[in-house]
Amino acid sequence: MKCKRVETFLSRSLDGLLTGQEKAALEEHLAACSPCRKKRDEYVFIAETLGDDDFPDINPYFWERLQPRLKESKKYAFWSEWKQWSLRAVPVSIIAVVSLVLGLALFLPQTGDELSQTGDLLLRNTLPLPETVTLLEAETGENKSMQLIFMAMEEKPDLRRYFP
Amino acid sequence: MEEKRLVERSKNGDEEAFGVLVKKYKTKVFNLAYSFTRDRETADDLTQEVFIKVYYALEKFKFQSGFGTWLYRIAVNHFKDYLRKHAKERHVSIDSLGREPSLPEDEFKKKERIQDTADRKKLLYESLRSIPEKHQVILTLRDIQGHSYEEIAGILKLSAGTVDSRLHRARKMLRKKIAPFLSQEGGNHEM
Repeated sequence: MKCKRVETFLSRSLDGLLTGQEKAALEEHLAACSPCRKKRDEYVFIAETLGDDDFPDINPYFWERLQPRLKESKKYAFWSEWKQWSLRAVPVSIIAVVSLVLGLALFLPQTGDELSQTGDLLLRNTLPLPETVTLLEAETGENKSMQLIFMAMEEKPDLRRYFP
Repeated sequence: MEEKRLVERSKNGDEEAFGVLVKKYKTKVFNLAYSFTRDRETADDLTQEVFIKVYYALEKFKFQSGFGTWLYRIAVNHFKDYLRKHAKERHVSIDSLGREPSLPEDEFKKKERIQDTADRKKLLYESLRSIPEKHQVILTLRDIQGHSYEEIAGILKLSAGTVDSRLHRARKMLRKKIAPFLSQEGGNHEM
């Protein structure tokens, strides 16, 4: 048996947890190992000293002294509970408000884009055709094309992007 | 009266029933408090605080463990809080035991001095206070209070295996602290 293992056995032997075989192996090792015998004495010293602790008597009239303290504590029990509750409630409320704001920001449907000129005309129940007619009445064909292109770009700004 | 009935009545605000429970457990709680503090007045005060805590926590007690185990758990946690709050003022260096800090002294003289029984006992308790709290607690419950492994496991909510290994580590730690101060080879450690 190695000395390191002996130390575990010494501690367990104080609680009477060793089997007969373990006890015999421990005794055999101790008979031959002086440092482990010293350790055993130290363990015995600890166990005996701590186990032999003497306690003073409790102060008299313990219950009689406790009773008014119980009544006194009862008065403060409500406030103490309220204080504890509010201490928990403040951070919880802050977290709830922040979560609500974030949730609203993330999950609420975003308001639609502004209506295009044509959409706006349709919504007002006005045919977009008269607008087009005005454009088509322009003097030259080149001007007409240019105006149509610019109008289309005005309505769909994404078309301005270059897509290779 | 049966303990369960007393607890039920105490839960309903019956102070008389609670008084019977206090009378039954006050000495055990006081001794535990004294083991941690080594001061009678502080132990008395802590014991009162424990029973006040217990009285107001009774409604949360669901009989999932014995009342005694539950009471001890509250007491141990209360004493641990006390130890944490007073850790600095309670800390005493082992090296300063019975020694002027400014005076140089060789090991031999120091060892010779603590042959005295009272000093050796004091040394042991100071060493116990200087080890980590969880080890202090388990040594107090087992070696001073004499609780069984099962009781300690219930009080500290640990497995029996953890109690065994932690107790072994705690004793080893304490032994290493006091070993240099105890007498040499085959030392006579009688008190």
